[in-house]
Amino acid sequence: MSATMAPTGDDLQQIAEQVWASYLDTDGEKPLVPLPPDKLSRDVVAGVAVSGAWHGLVLVACSSTASKEAAAALLGMGADEVSEGDVDDALGELANVIGGNVKSLLPEPCTLGLPEVHNDADNDPWLTGDEICRFEATWMGEPMEVSVLEKPQGGETE
Amino acid sequence: MVIDDSRAMRLILRRIVSGLNFDVVEAGNGREALDRLAELEVVPELALIDWNMPEMNGLEFVTAVRADKKYRGMTLMMVTTESEHGQIVRALAAGAHEYVIKPFTPDAIVDKLVMLGLIPDGAHA
Repeated sequence: MSATMAPTGDDLQQIAEQVWASYLDTDGEKPLVPLPPDKLSRDVVAGVAVSGAWHGLVLVACSSTASKEAAAALLGMGADEVSEGDVDDALGELANVIGGNVKSLLPEPCTLGLPEVHNDADNDPWLTGDEICRFEATWMGEPMEVSVLEKPQGGETE
Repeated sequence: MVIDDSRAMRLILRRIVSGLNFDVVEAGNGREALDRLAELEVVPELALIDWNMPEMNGLEFVTAVRADKKYRGMTLMMVTTESEHGQIVRALAAGAHEYVIKPFTPDAIVDKLVMLGLIPDGAHA
């Protein structure tokens, strides 16, 4: 893939599957299934801003249940023990890793911001932009979504 | 020493290197890592360093450590999502010995530590 091509849904799938295999499904028992869920959920949205030669956001969105399962898997604890801070840390790191890999597909030079985790996605001005690609999946029966939003150049991403 | 602003990532790295018989200290950013280093009686053999962190990023930490003779013996390995060629070159020029791009498998970390001579080949099997 050329460094100047825009990422696609297939790219997002490949990146997400690598991340899952490395951190969330290391024994192959909890795979990320590339099937659109019956119903999307954006209870928790973690994102990183990309700025520089390209401006936008890389987002990971999922249900509250999936966010707790992800935090539990990353932190080695039970989902019922997970705190809000654990979810923010875990989802933020997932967005950071996925965002860094998406950045490698964008024009250089770009800078990755620090991850942010938002819980009211529908009313959040930070989470706006033109969607250029999306990957929808199901994980442990819960909806999971990775997307890339482009912001008009000069638009605020930080 | 594991330096990453994500507790989850610190835990993942801690598990890997603890399994190789390293004692692990953690820090959430470069500034905190420098403070921890100043407190330690023994200089850590190895630091695994994220790039994007608040307060002091990984590149700034590498630069600071390399400027201090006390830490000359520390092996510095960037473990980061930064994969632009220019960024990798900058980190290595600043004094990092190795570079691992996230997501990584435990084997990727182990292989780098073998290459650096910090663990014998096969010790992790």
